[in-house]
Amino acid sequence: MTQIHVHCLGVFREIGDGFDVDTPSNSVDAIRRAVAEHLMHMGRSDLNDVLKRSVFAEGDELLKDHMVVEGSAVSVLPPVAGG
Amino acid sequence: MKLFTENRGTHWHCGLLDGPCQTDELDALVSHPAHGAIAQFFGVVRNHNDGLEAAAVDYDVHPELALKAMSELCSDISSEYPVRLLLVHSRGLVRVGEASVVIAASSAHRKDALGAVSDTIDQLKVRVPIWKKEIGPDDEQRWLDGYSLRKD
Repeated sequence: MTQIHVHCLGVFREIGDGFDVDTPSNSVDAIRRAVAEHLMHMGRSDLNDVLKRSVFAEGDELLKDHMVVEGSAVSVLPPVAGG
Repeated sequence: MKLFTENRGTHWHCGLLDGPCQTDELDALVSHPAHGAIAQFFGVVRNHNDGLEAAAVDYDVHPELALKAMSELCSDISSEYPVRLLLVHSRGLVRVGEASVVIAASSAHRKDALGAVSDTIDQLKVRVPIWKKEIGPDDEQRWLDGYSLRKD
């Protein structure tokens, strides 16, 4: 198992500034599934729809689900609403 | 303006600052002797949204990603329009009546400056990692939905 720290932004800050998840691999797809499980354990399954529309980033790079995380931390970015 | 992070290109300047944006003297930041038009846009926090009263908006930002996206946006706009362009966005609390985003563009003729400003605010809303938490008069708070950056 790989431990990944997930930094929260936007509406995900309602569950804190960040949390750790254990994933069987460091693919973005696996991290997304682990975050969905974490939301369920936190009693925040209501955020799953937002999670489906969210993108993960490592540093200043946006990641697609087939990509692999090189480090041990990602950010989860919900739909953006600047302006 | 005291920007906590910023970037510059040949014809553009963008950045982020804590709190509301300054809206005076922006023309001086983009003016040029060869430019006969200056267009400005201020995005200002309003006192209502979706039928609910609002007192302020708290802006959450991913600074690295936001600056990168704003730089790419300014570069794209500068490629499309012959303008000098300024783009600044707030982080943190901005109250009703205060500006959360300012855009200024100068060009030889008005159409380019007006087009650049209009396209910049349209694109900022769908490309830049910034999030709004609206705060009501009784301190009730809600995150606003927006545009997904997900491409897969």
